[in-house]
Amino acid sequence: MTRHITETDVRAAGPFAKIDTPADVVRMKSALLKDIRRSAYVYRVDCGGCNACEIEIFASITPVFDAERFGIKVVASPRHADILLFTGAVTRSMRMPALRAYEAAPDPKIVVSYGACGVSGGIFHDLYCVWGGTDKILPVDVYIPGCPPTPAATVYGFAVALGLLGQKLKAETHVQAEGERVAVAHPSIPYNLRVLVEREARRMAGYRQGGDIAEKFLVMLEQPGLVPLTDRMSTFAAAETDPRVAEILARLGDVVTEAIA
Amino acid sequence: MFKLLKEVLRTGEATVKYPFAPVEVAKDFRGKPEHQAANCIACAACTVACPANALGMETDAGAGTRTWSINYGRCVFCGRCEEVCPTDAIRLTPDFELAVAVKADLVRTAVFRLAPCVACGKPFAPEKEVAYVTALIEATAPSEADAERRRQLVATCPACKRAHDLGQIAGSRVVRAMETSR
Repeated sequence: MTRHITETDVRAAGPFAKIDTPADVVRMKSALLKDIRRSAYVYRVDCGGCNACEIEIFASITPVFDAERFGIKVVASPRHADILLFTGAVTRSMRMPALRAYEAAPDPKIVVSYGACGVSGGIFHDLYCVWGGTDKILPVDVYIPGCPPTPAATVYGFAVALGLLGQKLKAETHVQAEGERVAVAHPSIPYNLRVLVEREARRMAGYRQGGDIAEKFLVMLEQPGLVPLTDRMSTFAAAETDPRVAEILARLGDVVTEAIA
Repeated sequence: MFKLLKEVLRTGEATVKYPFAPVEVAKDFRGKPEHQAANCIACAACTVACPANALGMETDAGAGTRTWSINYGRCVFCGRCEEVCPTDAIRLTPDFELAVAVKADLVRTAVFRLAPCVACGKPFAPEKEVAYVTALIEATAPSEADAERRRQLVATCPACKRAHDLGQIAGSRVVRAMETSR
């Protein structure tokens, strides 16, 4: 079934001719978008995903995110669909079912590639049995990255697909400027002491949070002042409201005291 | 009927206003990795750590440049890059609005220049990395002579270091005897 084909289109195309040039597809898609603005039927095609994307899709149609506010409805058959949502990295055995679902959906249709795997194969991109992305087998209109995309990211992706919102990301290239240099952090603290503090904080709090706590502690150490260092460290640890962070800060104080002694 | 209305009023509205209002993101949410190219020394630690190969590094020896790139479409938001970065140049942000219509917009790149080797003059390592390591060893060197020796070491390419070592060994006249006894 094709939409918005006028009498002149048919006459120009001649008998038994298909109307599927790129210009036709673009025109039909924009007509479709105008038609389905408040009622978009989505069919979800799993091409070998891990089901995390499916869970997030269903999370986004629950009352909290309620994608049905925008008329987005998940349907059970590709024959009812306006939008096809492809998840998963397109495995060898799911390639044909994906193509069949695409062919079964009425023209024109909008194809959305969902999740890191759907967009580019994600973490599975170089597996032997994986095609690596929906766009390797089908023309894709909108890409929604994420592993998995959160329900809010899903709603945003659909808003982009339906033309309600514009995309935010733009391709950017940074070129190194003349004399661009990176300074060593905390130059006034001996490097070996900085390593000890960071190592202890990361041992206790994990890599990322430990790094953040160590950074906070080192900034405090660097501050000039007449107050003795040990007093400053103990007041800093006492001012912390989170008992877990306070324990780590106290331990970092011990590390510094041991290193100085 | 009245009871039901009362229940409805008591429960209130559960639906968030997004996308018409910003949605509240959890603390430590792992969203789009933001790269501060000015803080990057192009050491490639993140590209080695990246499990999905979303981060990449390509060296063009002819042009003397090294190009760092991130593909947000392939990123799995694990945060390894943030953990290994020695200069905190890459951090995960709470930004999740990454959907695009053009796939090329998912890629971000940064081009860095390579420093020439002091011995042979061929480009071998990023300029910023060499400068950073030099600053670091100057701060930790025990003596000025030692600092100068280390500076030379950092600014020399591996091939020249190897050639220099060979010359040193040949010049030191080490006496070697064949192993004959069994």
